[in-house]
Amino acid sequence: MKKFFLILFSGAGIFFLLYSPALATQPHGAPEGLYVHQLSHLFFVFSMTVLIYWLRMRNLVREIGWRYIQYAAFFFILWTLDAFAAHMLDEQFEWVKVTRVDPWHLCLDASHEWISIFYYLIKLDHLLCVPAIVFLYAGLKRLSASAGPEKGKGKIP
Amino acid sequence: MTVTALPIWTVDMAGSVLMILFSFLCLHHIRCLNRRDPDNLIWTYLLWVCYFLAGFAISRSAGHILKQILIVSQYREVWETIRPYSGTINTFMLILVAATTLFFERVWQVYQNILNDRQALRSAHANLLHLNENLEKRVQERTEALARSEKQIAQADKLASIGQFSSGIAHEINNPLGIILGYTQLLLREENPESAKYEDLKTIEKHVKTCKSIVEDLLNFARSSKPVEGPVCIHDCMEDVLMFLQHRSAPDETEIVKNYDRSVPKMILDEKKIKQVFINLMMNAIHAIGKKGKIAITTAYEASKNQVRIKIADTGYGIEKKNLTKIFDPFFTTKPTGEGTGLGLAVSYGIIKNHGGEILVESEPGRGAEFAIVLPTAGRMGQCEVSHE
Repeated sequence: MKKFFLILFSGAGIFFLLYSPALATQPHGAPEGLYVHQLSHLFFVFSMTVLIYWLRMRNLVREIGWRYIQYAAFFFILWTLDAFAAHMLDEQFEWVKVTRVDPWHLCLDASHEWISIFYYLIKLDHLLCVPAIVFLYAGLKRLSASAGPEKGKGKIP
Repeated sequence: MTVTALPIWTVDMAGSVLMILFSFLCLHHIRCLNRRDPDNLIWTYLLWVCYFLAGFAISRSAGHILKQILIVSQYREVWETIRPYSGTINTFMLILVAATTLFFERVWQVYQNILNDRQALRSAHANLLHLNENLEKRVQERTEALARSEKQIAQADKLASIGQFSSGIAHEINNPLGIILGYTQLLLREENPESAKYEDLKTIEKHVKTCKSIVEDLLNFARSSKPVEGPVCIHDCMEDVLMFLQHRSAPDETEIVKNYDRSVPKMILDEKKIKQVFINLMMNAIHAIGKKGKIAITTAYEASKNQVRIKIADTGYGIEKKNLTKIFDPFFTTKPTGEGTGLGLAVSYGIIKNHGGEILVESEPGRGAEFAIVLPTAGRMGQCEVSHE
């Protein structure tokens, strides 16, 4: 085993010494941040969909607490799709150009007016994520109520 | 198109505050649940989801609030400096929430396995406890049975020795008694019945007959006399004995409860001797209960053991523990002098042993006594006709 590591490190050392410049790191430019953020939204959609799937598969949604958590996951999916669309329109593809006229007015430039209207509406994304977290709160409250007061009596449906 | 930013601003600000508020409320509830039942993996899982969600809500909402404030207050360049950091943390927290949520099914499955294992452990523990308790009980029962068995063997050995000894004496005495009785009866024939000598001879004859009866009892106890066996219905035997005793010994307030098992078969027994055993046991029971009491007669056919059990239980005073080992000894009696010879149970013991059976007694002072005769069945020869119940 020691011999193997000796050969491996020696080989790696010779490789880095012989070749110039050393290919150690890859540069990460500006668009990567946006792509990572967009991917995180897609991952979030996937994760919430999987959660809904298992909640239904395990028949947990028969209990109201878990049913509320299911609704929360659903609203989180809507919200994250909404946010994904907003990022896509104004940053990724720049189909909508947003300029601040003054602190209280915005100028939305798009190829079609309906895109501007759609963009304006999806910017109100809190209308989706707030209901999601309220449902999560309600679900946890229900689970807490049905779990009972004593230790070790947590009711798992 | 130019639009007002007010609705976006209002929804953004209010929504951000609400997101922070509700994420903390969620955290509060799940922390309560987790504190209540820290072993519950689902609560622990949800707690971590809520931690990351709260982190996400704070990073996102704080970013939004800061953005709106800085833009409205003409500090856009400050926001542009903060923005990359806020966005990175926001993305990082969103990934954490999504990644944690993804493990829901695994966590659920693991927790179900834990619950199942816990249940299995609990039931295994309960089984072990039960076995442990049962083992102690069984050992105790076996020990008691062994002690009883040892006592019975000792008793049987003792009675066998006494029986051998009695048999020898009885044989030696029986012949001279026969001669004395014979000569006494010869003399009686030649004597005038009105004379005083006749009366004396009659007294001698009476006492010799008593002696012969005792000798016969001793021979019965020693099992030296051969039984005359034939098919016998023990219920009929018992009924004959009860009829006989009803006219002679049983007080009016004696309640006799009969519980005959109809499946008891006829058996090859010496009817006279079995009746003698029943009489002895019944007489003892009647004597034990005094003027008022209950005698329960129970018969049972234990087919699996090929035996018939006849129980005679009384509600009398019972037998002292110290006397339990002596009651089958010849001449042992607790009755006053002149009321019993102390041969009844000894003879009964001999008769039952001679039939290959055994006679057992259970008694506690103040709770009556129960005698059980266990007779091996000599094959079923037909049901007894029970019309006496």
